[in-house]
Amino acid sequence: MPKRKSAAINRRDFLRSAAAGTAALVTSPAAPSKQPLPNPRSGPPPMSPAAEVEAPSGAEVLTADRTGSDFMVDVIKSLGIEYICANPGSSFRGLHESVINYGGNKSPEFITCLHEESSVAMAHGYAKIAGKPLGVFAHGTVGLQHAAMAVYNAYCDRVPVYIIGGNIMDATKRIPPVEWAHSVQDAAAMLRDYTKWDDLPVSLTHFAESAVRAYKIAMTPPMMPVLLIVDAELQENPISSDAKMHIPSLNPALPPQGDSGSVAEAARLLVAAENPVLVFDRAARTPAGLALLIELAETLQAAVIDRAGRMNFPSRHPLNQTERGREELANADVILGLELNDFWGTIHSYRDQMERTSRPITRPDAKLIGISAATLFFKSNYQNFQRYPELDLDIAGDAEATLPSLIASVKSQLATSRKSALQNRGARLAGAHQKTLQANREAATYAWDASPISTARLCAEIWAQIKGEDWSLVSTSGFVSRWPEKLWTIDKHYHVIGYSGGYGIGYTAPAAVGAALANRAHGRLSVNIQCDGDLMYGPGVLWTAAHHRIPLLSIMHNNRAYHQEVMQVQIMADRHSRGVERAKIGTAIDDPGIDYSKLAQSMGLYAEGPIADPKELAPALERAIAVVKRGEPALLDVHTQPR
Amino acid sequence: MKTYKFLGDLVERFVGQMRRAGFADPLRVVGFGAFIAATIVCIVALSALSGAAQTAAGQQANQSTSGNAENGRVVFEKQGCNKCHGAQGEGVGVPGQAGGVPRIASTALALPAFVQLVRSPKGQMPPFGNQKVSDAEVADVYAFLRALTPAGKPEAAAPESAKKGERLFNAYGCYECHGYQGQGSTQTGGSRLGPPRIPLSAFVSYVRAPTGQMPPYTAKAVSSEDLGEMYAFLQSIPQPAPAKSIPLLNQ
Repeated sequence: MPKRKSAAINRRDFLRSAAAGTAALVTSPAAPSKQPLPNPRSGPPPMSPAAEVEAPSGAEVLTADRTGSDFMVDVIKSLGIEYICANPGSSFRGLHESVINYGGNKSPEFITCLHEESSVAMAHGYAKIAGKPLGVFAHGTVGLQHAAMAVYNAYCDRVPVYIIGGNIMDATKRIPPVEWAHSVQDAAAMLRDYTKWDDLPVSLTHFAESAVRAYKIAMTPPMMPVLLIVDAELQENPISSDAKMHIPSLNPALPPQGDSGSVAEAARLLVAAENPVLVFDRAARTPAGLALLIELAETLQAAVIDRAGRMNFPSRHPLNQTERGREELANADVILGLELNDFWGTIHSYRDQMERTSRPITRPDAKLIGISAATLFFKSNYQNFQRYPELDLDIAGDAEATLPSLIASVKSQLATSRKSALQNRGARLAGAHQKTLQANREAATYAWDASPISTARLCAEIWAQIKGEDWSLVSTSGFVSRWPEKLWTIDKHYHVIGYSGGYGIGYTAPAAVGAALANRAHGRLSVNIQCDGDLMYGPGVLWTAAHHRIPLLSIMHNNRAYHQEVMQVQIMADRHSRGVERAKIGTAIDDPGIDYSKLAQSMGLYAEGPIADPKELAPALERAIAVVKRGEPALLDVHTQPR
Repeated sequence: MKTYKFLGDLVERFVGQMRRAGFADPLRVVGFGAFIAATIVCIVALSALSGAAQTAAGQQANQSTSGNAENGRVVFEKQGCNKCHGAQGEGVGVPGQAGGVPRIASTALALPAFVQLVRSPKGQMPPFGNQKVSDAEVADVYAFLRALTPAGKPEAAAPESAKKGERLFNAYGCYECHGYQGQGSTQTGGSRLGPPRIPLSAFVSYVRAPTGQMPPYTAKAVSSEDLGEMYAFLQSIPQPAPAKSIPLLNQ
């Protein structure tokens, strides 16, 4: 490869050479000012008299046709990044301007965010629908500090996010006082524990290679956020007009597959099992993954438990035994976990009493098999890797990439003589599934007409309005007792998108907006069942949705408290026999109650509420959906039961 | 004679049920002919039942109740039978209907049938095998239950007690896990409480010493009297309409 001419030159060198030969660019100094000195007690200060009377230091060049940040945008475009989510910051002003002007504000388009946590969480939700990252710009100091919680969520959830942080490395170039406060020696340090890779490029060529490398690393399972720290000087320094800049090609790395011998052994155990159970968590990365998981389950006629890290398995499939998973686990002789975040927690029960205890819920002779790319990547400090599971067969590899060989091996080992046994198993499971569906319906009847509205009624009313649409639930269902999984027909890969990963509150609202942004290209109806406590971490993302015309139906699950935390305080109060009457101190969100419809309206959204009568839900949903179908966000404030 | 007594009870129950259903004078509403017809059907049915009951009573007389009732009470509690059936085996609700727990105090079953039921129960009850409880211990439990006085009809909760109970239910934060109407939640792990599926004694017993994730509420935190009021509130919650009658649950 021929050695390329250094493309970027520093601003001082460029200005010196430009002064010699580019007289046309030299501007005349302003005439000496005769105006009086400003009155320090009133009005804004005028331009510095000194600056206006001093002679110029030389042939100063004040403009440039092309800068490093222009090239950086070329690199970003080459990666196919469609959006940049950012709250503006001076340490990346060069990149900001290059995106909107040089790049035409198109692929990537700048999305205005009101908080860096919103920027990253939007990227989190977007990636789970789009299957690729969007970009985030942030100050290398205060911006990344704001972003940190959302980065941790994405890290735990194995989601790629592409983050560029601005910084000013050269101390002599920082304008006091703000740029000193916003500069840092090692900006990536604060996120290094929960990002997959970071770099600090010192040249544009270095940037180009690291930018492509970062994308490749982020998108190779296990996927995670990556971070580039980009110096402001590198962004803003001009590039000589004859510079030939190279952008490395992006050739994605193939996801790692499990060892073929181990996969064959896993297939042998599954085929021989009387009661195999398949537990899926973050298993289906793509629509193809969903199809493969269905094929595996149907080939084995095995019970499936969906831990809902991704959309893994149809809710109405007869082999779906999620709601009665514990019963199946207790009888299982082989348990296969695919990208299962918490294998140990899946096969144990535990109690949060004075003495914390746990016990296995599986047979002692049950064989445990795991296939996960998470086995290939560990960091020490944060403990999201969960308790150590004693697996009989631990296969390091991406589950989705390993599924074709596993299915082929199962099929090849499945003797015809087993056909009848498998059919009987499938029939048993189908019967149990039907009984569970009916039990779910009966359970939903309790508190059906209650006010505040039960979460079952809320979800049934939503389903009635969206079931005929091409819909996508872009929020987690855990806070509404998983009623969508129990009452809705969920069978497409974008129907549900899992949860936050790190259980950091404040994820849902921005992730929903990000996912809706990705759904917008497909004309899907994005639905967000939005917890009140979560929204108040960063309600400004509603404005982002309105400003960028991101269609999203948000239905407030307004239960007026951090109910999980109320329960935690109750546990302590009960343990000490002190009464629980004060458990709402520090946990309730009332007195005054927050009017979420007014909050949303103030940011340009169509909004109604509060709605506490279940009979009012259906017409309100119809009106809000009509707004969303016009391409705008809408919000309904609904007073609900706790869970 | 016994048959006539049952018949009298039946007529009284029939008239009472009709009145509760909103009919001021059941005999006038239903019509005398229809009432007579219904009564005849009941006489026939009760004659058969009475005969069966007498046969069972005769069989019981031949069954051994020589178990140790005092030890039976210990086994009853140790095995957690009281957690569903109540401290006095009083049960709750209507057996056979969803959520009902049979009353087993002064059980009419013969000992072999009782043992068979314990070993291989039907419905929601878990089986208690030999490794959990021996035949001798089951016989002791049988003796304990046979010695109990038959419980009377459960009394309906007084409206004022139910209202107070609802206030307490909210004040003690029970709704956090169980919902404002005790509907329960799979997410919090809070069981469905309303209407109750276990007797009051079992309810109080569980609240004091729960076996799952629920924190224990000692007498210092909540009095038994308050628990009784809350139980009355839960009792006052009507059974919901069946899912098949709600269009939104049949989509």
